[in-house]
Amino acid sequence: MNIIGPDLLVFGVDDVPACHEFLSAYGLAAQDYTPEKGGLYLALDGTGLEIRRRDDPSLPPALKTGSTLRLQVHGVTDQAALDAVAAELGKDRQVLRLADGSIRCQDDQGFELAFRVTMRQRLELEGEKVNAPYNPARPVNALGVTQDMPATPRTLSHLVLFVPDIEGALGFYRDRLGFRITDTLEGAGPFLRPQANPDHHTHFFIRTPPYMQGIEHLAFHLGGPTELMLAGSRMMEAGFESFWGPGRHKFGSNWFWYFKSPLACNVEFDADMDTHDDTWAPREAPMGPEASQAFLMQWRQKWAPGGGPKG
Amino acid sequence: MLCRLSDLTDGTTRGIEVPGLPFKVIVVRRGERVFGWRDLCPHYAGGTPMAWKRDAYLNGAGTHLACHAHGAWFEIETGVCVQGPCLGKRLTRVPLRIDDAGAIHLERPPREERP
Repeated sequence: MNIIGPDLLVFGVDDVPACHEFLSAYGLAAQDYTPEKGGLYLALDGTGLEIRRRDDPSLPPALKTGSTLRLQVHGVTDQAALDAVAAELGKDRQVLRLADGSIRCQDDQGFELAFRVTMRQRLELEGEKVNAPYNPARPVNALGVTQDMPATPRTLSHLVLFVPDIEGALGFYRDRLGFRITDTLEGAGPFLRPQANPDHHTHFFIRTPPYMQGIEHLAFHLGGPTELMLAGSRMMEAGFESFWGPGRHKFGSNWFWYFKSPLACNVEFDADMDTHDDTWAPREAPMGPEASQAFLMQWRQKWAPGGGPKG
Repeated sequence: MLCRLSDLTDGTTRGIEVPGLPFKVIVVRRGERVFGWRDLCPHYAGGTPMAWKRDAYLNGAGTHLACHAHGAWFEIETGVCVQGPCLGKRLTRVPLRIDDAGAIHLERPPREERP
């Protein structure tokens, strides 16, 4: 199945203006926003979030747990891929074909899904380049950082769900939709990537009791670790609150920095994730602080050493 | 003193750093009553701070304290979690007193840190 990954995540929230403030600071571009109705929040490649009021009648029904995530729209490569998804899922559930060309259904645990030919626009932006000794990646005189350089989310990277039935989720995403398991944190769950996306993961599932079912966090990719550090520092300086990070995960190698949000889930910046193909042999490690990160740091206000006790 | 009653309008919250305490104290005003809670969501062992930005601890409707990591809601008066990952658990109360001048204090000073 030529699925690429999440194009759009749709939320029903109880404080639309707070989400607007947060997502604007996070660096997404607001489109068609009103405090009454919400709006779209887009990364540079056109992927993003849709924020609506919890009681907006246009939204799919909410999970009983009250999770704010109402719909995941996944991009596929082309119409043939969309037809293949529709044919597979049509074997055992209702698949609606909507006027905009997308298809709609539920997964086995009641998460609302849509699939569409992806709206992602390919970016021609360079990634971060690092000058190593004898092997500089930047042209001479090109600067590695400036205080005001852009640090804007480029594309929707992944979502992490609290899921009561991991085996059931694998039966759906791996066995029906062809996702590959890249690694597993034992006691939590698997990292998954769809076949048309080399990223280490677009999905990660964490086993929880049924009353917790919902979204744990979502993440957008930045152009590199320097952009991630700048974007997170700007959030901290503006009074937003870190949940975890900055640091670098082991599985996926992605740099991370998570912020609490009025979407009622964490919203992560990530950068420099590993990519894989089908020759990759999945790893397993017990869930815990050691497996979760190579290193973890904590932000502080800018400081500098001076000349000595008297300056 | 943490803050003054007059600093808090009804239904607003403050997260206040207290020397000697390893967590902020959330102060919430409801009418003339003030409630104090440790800024520690009981979802994870040891607790994690709950605001999405400085002093922003309430849900959208202002009816509950909320942890903005995973959407847990807590009753303002009792601290009991009524929705979300720590359903049935509760926040830890920080007893407060309001003096005659309208200043809000911890009922008991924090214990001195032992070396």
